[in-house]
Amino acid sequence: MRGDLTFGMAGSGGDGIVSAGEALISAAAAEGYHAIMTKSFGSQIRGGESSCRVRVSTQPIGTSNGPLDVAVVLSWDDFLKFGAELQIEGTTVVIYEAKSGVAPDKLPLVGVTPADVARVPIGELSKKAAGSDKAKNTVVLGLIAGWFDVARTTLLKGMQKKLAKKGPEVVAAAERAFAAGLEYALANPLKREMKIAPSKDGPGTKMLTDGNDMCAAAAIFAGCRFYGGYPITPSTEIMQYLTREIWKYGGAVLQAEDEIAGIGAAVGASFAGKKSMTATSGPGMSLKTEIVGLATIAELPLVIVNVQRGGPATGLPTKSEQADLFQACFATHGDSVRPVLAPTSVADTFPITVEAFNIAEQYQTPVVVLSDQEIGQRKETVNPIDTSKFTIVDRLRPTPADLEAYTRFRITESGVSPIAHPGDERGNYLAAGIEHNEQGAPTASGGVHARMNDKRFKKLEPLKKRLDLFEVLGDPSASVLLLGWGSTAGACREALDWAQKDGLSVKLVIPKLLFPIAEEVYRDLFRGVAAGLVVESSHQGQLYRLLRMYIDLPTGVRSLCRSGANPFAPREIERKLRSAVIGLQRGHGESLQSQE
Amino acid sequence: MGAELPVVFDPKDYKSDLKPIWCPGCGDFGVLQAMYRALASVGRPPHEIAFVSGIGCSSRIPGYTTAYGFNSVHGRALPIAQGIKIANPDLLVLVAGGDGDGFSIGGGHLPHAIRRNLDLTYIVMDNQIYGLTKGQLSPTSPLHLKTVTSPHGAMEAPVNPLLYVLAYGAPFVAQGTPADMAGLAQIIEDAIRYPGFAFVNVQSPCVTFGQDDWQVKQHRAAMKTLESLGHNSTDLLSAMDKARSYGSELYTGILYKNPNPAPTYDAMVRERQQALTTGSPSPARILDGFLQK
Amino acid sequence: MSTKTRGIDFSKLSLKDALDLAILVEEEAEERYVELAHQMEIHRTEEAAAFFRFMAINEKKHGSELSERRKKLFGDAPREVRRTMIFDIEAPDYDEARAQMSPHEALTVAMSSEKKAYEFFVAALPHLSDPEVRSLFEELRQEEIHHQELVAKELAKVPATKDALGDAFEDEPLAL
Repeated sequence: MRGDLTFGMAGSGGDGIVSAGEALISAAAAEGYHAIMTKSFGSQIRGGESSCRVRVSTQPIGTSNGPLDVAVVLSWDDFLKFGAELQIEGTTVVIYEAKSGVAPDKLPLVGVTPADVARVPIGELSKKAAGSDKAKNTVVLGLIAGWFDVARTTLLKGMQKKLAKKGPEVVAAAERAFAAGLEYALANPLKREMKIAPSKDGPGTKMLTDGNDMCAAAAIFAGCRFYGGYPITPSTEIMQYLTREIWKYGGAVLQAEDEIAGIGAAVGASFAGKKSMTATSGPGMSLKTEIVGLATIAELPLVIVNVQRGGPATGLPTKSEQADLFQACFATHGDSVRPVLAPTSVADTFPITVEAFNIAEQYQTPVVVLSDQEIGQRKETVNPIDTSKFTIVDRLRPTPADLEAYTRFRITESGVSPIAHPGDERGNYLAAGIEHNEQGAPTASGGVHARMNDKRFKKLEPLKKRLDLFEVLGDPSASVLLLGWGSTAGACREALDWAQKDGLSVKLVIPKLLFPIAEEVYRDLFRGVAAGLVVESSHQGQLYRLLRMYIDLPTGVRSLCRSGANPFAPREIERKLRSAVIGLQRGHGESLQSQE
Repeated sequence: MGAELPVVFDPKDYKSDLKPIWCPGCGDFGVLQAMYRALASVGRPPHEIAFVSGIGCSSRIPGYTTAYGFNSVHGRALPIAQGIKIANPDLLVLVAGGDGDGFSIGGGHLPHAIRRNLDLTYIVMDNQIYGLTKGQLSPTSPLHLKTVTSPHGAMEAPVNPLLYVLAYGAPFVAQGTPADMAGLAQIIEDAIRYPGFAFVNVQSPCVTFGQDDWQVKQHRAAMKTLESLGHNSTDLLSAMDKARSYGSELYTGILYKNPNPAPTYDAMVRERQQALTTGSPSPARILDGFLQK
Repeated sequence: MSTKTRGIDFSKLSLKDALDLAILVEEEAEERYVELAHQMEIHRTEEAAAFFRFMAINEKKHGSELSERRKKLFGDAPREVRRTMIFDIEAPDYDEARAQMSPHEALTVAMSSEKKAYEFFVAALPHLSDPEVRSLFEELRQEEIHHQELVAKELAKVPATKDALGDAFEDEPLAL
């Protein structure tokens, strides 16, 4: 019995292989497995090559990256286009469409002999069972159910439910195709039995969603009642979810004419008293930047989600990267900082988004949630979240006494001053992008400007003490440190497990608050550390460089980084960490800039 | 207790303590005064008004009123105003700015604000020049105009905001000048009272960098009220015909007023919220939909 | 007429309304002079500022005199005429003001305001039906003549020409 299986499947868009993946993860989730699914497509809108990876496990998991346990190939042409995204190794079982004409000992793989190869007449089985080869994906599910025993009954139920609206004939055809696959698998056992163990948590214990939907749901939970935005890959699902749901809670969504108008409307709604949000990806963030600064100087709460993709400019719209950190922290002109938070998984997106709203409201500031394509668009099982454990923070409003002589930007000890909303009697004030005095009147005074900068920076100081926005795993006293953020943190979590299994004592640090840099928190965490890696999906290693800007890092702590769309696998990180330790022991650190 | 007397507002109720920094002689003073009058006539208390602007000399105007003001960034007044109005449709939302703000850097927002038809009033103080940055060419500067950025004469023809705003489908389009403050106050009042997107172009000359032969004094002699010309403001085609003379004639008054106002976006937002909130779902249960059974 | 008032029917104007109208005219002028004085102060045009303040005080004085009369005749009876109904009757036009204007120019602004007010009352007279209102308007018209004479006397004292150097040494206006 296996505790963990990673499937990688590819075909042409018409093969519906991604739909098969969806059915697989839904069934696995319904049975209580932990699972993650990522999808990848060619650049065609329809009909191009498409693929998915589905990892199913009896244990919590942090990534679906790494070599495949099972490769399902409907067409070798399509499969091979995905390169390292679908990596076949010596441990992989390859299932492929017989029609592709390749002999099992002549697979188009270089230097790798898979553990097992099953050449299956998938199209033929489909034709026989369903009268058409369109049901190939369902045959594949039958094969998976038969060979790997993943959610056998639930899989069929899920498909029946999904196809119900297409009529009883379609459902019956699917049932026959599934049965054909299942029977084929049972009649032709694999060399080695690879059935997965039953889930530990049991049926009905898992939620299943992606990071973007989770972010949108968290926003509504946190009190978001206005969203302004513009469609952009890979963040659009956030707007789509909200525009479906937010009205039910008395909110509204504006699909704006451009990115600037989207954030502009969100700032307007915040000024009018609504918790508001905009979401985008790198190119949109570049356009929104001026208004981020406006929200900063006008001290208006606002949550900005950047679901990162590869950049610059159009870059890699459908692939994940972590190269917008500098932009998130520094993009506006002038002295301005804004809190930047990064979720590390779909599950994490809920508390991080709620926290972003809380911080935005508490400190009357824009807050950036730095998600990425992998988290935003991957499907993941999530354990139930007890929403009653969350505190919702609302902005500080003026008391009747404050309104006697209302001073919107009064310099207070905390730096936070009560905010009136249009409609509040006696709260009338001028919000402005121009520097202003405590009353809100425009000024060009250097003295006032300096005091207002002090105010705007001071109010964020408490954030730097938020140890709760850091996750520390492994051995807290270890001298070897691993640090990862965003989607890379998931791979780091599993790398920690591998390291521990291999007897290496490691401290894993996962910052959820990326900015402002919590200098003291980091100083404590780096105390006693001799070697380590900061792991990121960017060419420069932006968090590593950012940390060095604020903190004296131990010299043995290096950057492990490479451009996006080349995700890290846990074993790889562990190997790099081990060689860093060895390198340090040798007395000379080696360059850890990884080769692609 | 007897019935409460209706509160009557005086123009002074809308005047803030901030002293305008505009140059003496600027057309914007007259626009501001006309706004005070119009607001007093409409009679909404200042705290129920949100007044949004971009950047430019004229965009200072919200600060000179007692309304909630938002002096934002260049060209973005309309998106911000729309967010405010959607967030709180009970507010009276006014937008103001200059020709550069509205027709150049922020020009892309105008057609969309119009097609959404929120109940907003947008007043452009059109002075055909960039005054705040000291006299550069603006989108409404006349062809051949010499400025610091067109020392040999402008090579672009000006935009015609009246014509394109009509073409975008604005249901209320008017033009005024501070040379006729009573007329301007009336136009602004009508614009505010119109249930939908109302656009008012005010020819508001720049006394410092503007053309010497096109100041308020010249407006007084040149202006023709549309009323006196027997213009039918419910006729879109004749409105467009009059709008064609932008830049050569100074027509004042209401060019076009759609007699059958369409439902506003903000009204539709309310309707949708009311239609979909039945059963009032609890945000605490928002994640239930993700549970996989 | 039409551009100066809105919603006032002169043929039906009562004495109370006429007094209220006259008070508002003075109030409007007073406020405008104060505004112009501010403009001049912000733009370092001290002499004109001082003159506009002086004019504001005068207008206030006229207003208070009229208010007292009104109070004597009609007590606290509610006012029917409002500020939103009048437009620049005696208030100087904004476009008359200029930064660095000379005292002579400032006096000219006042002169044209007095003339405007005079013309307003002259134009209104034929429309009035109430004899008491008519005599009030005649009185106000006469007052404007008197003011014009005062301003003319002051005007004669200051040179009409600008400083010979004009604005030759003035800094360029500031870009904001």
